[in-house]
Amino acid sequence: MSRSSTSSLAACVWIPLFPLRCEEARQDGLANYPTALLAPDTTRKLWQVSSLARHAGVKPGMTVSQAIGLCPTLRLIEPDPVHYDDCFARLLAALNEISPVIESGELGLAYVGTDGLEGIFGSPGKIIEAIKRTLEGWNVRMSEAGSTVQHSNLPTFRIGFARGKFTAWVAASRSKPDEAVIVPAGAERKFLASQPIAVLPLDTDIHRRLRQLNIRTLGALAALPEAAVTAQFGDVGKRLWRLAAGRIAEPVEGRVTLEPIVAALTFFTPVGERELLVHSLEQLIARALNHPRRIGWRVHAVRLRADLESGQMDSDVGRGAACCAPTNRSWLVNALLKDPTADAGSIAAPLKTRLEQSPPTGAVERLVLEFTAFAPGTAELQLFARDAAAAARAGQQRALRHAAREVRMRVNRATLYHVIEVQPWSRLPERRYALIDYEP
Amino acid sequence: MVAPARAPLRTDRLRAVNEPRPVAVELDANGKPAAIRRSNDTGGGHGGQEETAAVVEAVLEMWRIDDEWWRKLISRRYFAVMLEGGSRVVLFEDLVTHEWFMQTA
Repeated sequence: MSRSSTSSLAACVWIPLFPLRCEEARQDGLANYPTALLAPDTTRKLWQVSSLARHAGVKPGMTVSQAIGLCPTLRLIEPDPVHYDDCFARLLAALNEISPVIESGELGLAYVGTDGLEGIFGSPGKIIEAIKRTLEGWNVRMSEAGSTVQHSNLPTFRIGFARGKFTAWVAASRSKPDEAVIVPAGAERKFLASQPIAVLPLDTDIHRRLRQLNIRTLGALAALPEAAVTAQFGDVGKRLWRLAAGRIAEPVEGRVTLEPIVAALTFFTPVGERELLVHSLEQLIARALNHPRRIGWRVHAVRLRADLESGQMDSDVGRGAACCAPTNRSWLVNALLKDPTADAGSIAAPLKTRLEQSPPTGAVERLVLEFTAFAPGTAELQLFARDAAAAARAGQQRALRHAAREVRMRVNRATLYHVIEVQPWSRLPERRYALIDYEP
Repeated sequence: MVAPARAPLRTDRLRAVNEPRPVAVELDANGKPAAIRRSNDTGGGHGGQEETAAVVEAVLEMWRIDDEWWRKLISRRYFAVMLEGGSRVVLFEDLVTHEWFMQTA
């Protein structure tokens, strides 16, 4: 359901602190205050902080109380990952107008494959100009989406151009806001040699050990024998050495992904009960699996998102802050299934785990499930799984489906419902139970 | 295989069970329900309505709830009553709008 193409020349587009920039773009004046975005999985810790907040000593990962102690005027923003995801999807779509080969990294980081674009735009400088124009167009659309946002508040981007994704990323990280660094072909090693080792994808332990060895630049690392680095740091070290020496030039891998299958449920009253969310998730999975476009394909990637009830943050979070910026709130989980499957239980498992470990930080108004990537189905699996009991169940299910369809045709509307417990302990009788469509 | 289409598969709502139905309530001297009047849909799709009345034989229990002040205040005074003929229902007065509703017990 997806096909890929590659490009060895890469333009890396990077918008640092993308989620925070999205918030600044939709809330006029927010950029003038020290701000911090709360972590999506726990509202007790900070995820991203603005430069004004950094100047006051606030750092990502701090607890809210620590941060407010350092900066009493800090503005706290609750995360809206669905919004950031949408903004990023629009950014990727905009870049797709320049090149068909687009690879996304983390939020705010995208690689544009530029092989062959010189025939359309000309030199790398001209390609960069075209990308900048596209990004400015995306910025304008962002400002139109926001209410009264000034253009100066819109996200600034950095661009790096080189052969291979890593060098392009390093170039982007070295560029100034709204500018680009172009690494000419053949100059990659020289460019990389002077860069700090922090640009490598290092864990803290390796970073500490390299600093203890007084290795502070990629050039210093590449000057060591490859075998010695491999002996010291294993396969990870070997890869790091090759990146530092410019021996690896990973191409941009573009994927053409088709539209997801979406199933959604809007609750009549915001729901915080885990059991009901799990039940609703199972309903959504069943519906999405029944979609005609899904038949014959197994699900490879799934996304669950929730619009959360807007409201005040809890007292502990808000305490001491001069202002808690009002925002839309959402919750998002992406899961890549190890083995593509059409089994509802296997699809639900990682989502349920996430619901258990880091549940939404507020009551859910709307729950949306998306199947975002697929793999071809295999008839053999169904053949071997079909034992007598399964055949009997399938027969019952067929009969039930037939009966339900007949009832629906006779009365011309859905009349079969499950009665589910919503808040059986509620003091409001109408909140205790609800009906949900029953589709056998 | 999968044609590009943004249309969601389905968007469904949960339907509440035992939703409160408006009812007119006559109170006695103590402010407790003495009789109720309510409109019943006669069906047939003509919008016909028929009013029925019932006397409250006994107030079995009464209580009050004040909740969800952080969202939209819910303030209700409930009466579990037995109507003439023996049927039991729950009546409540919405203390915000001063309207009366009935629910199954």
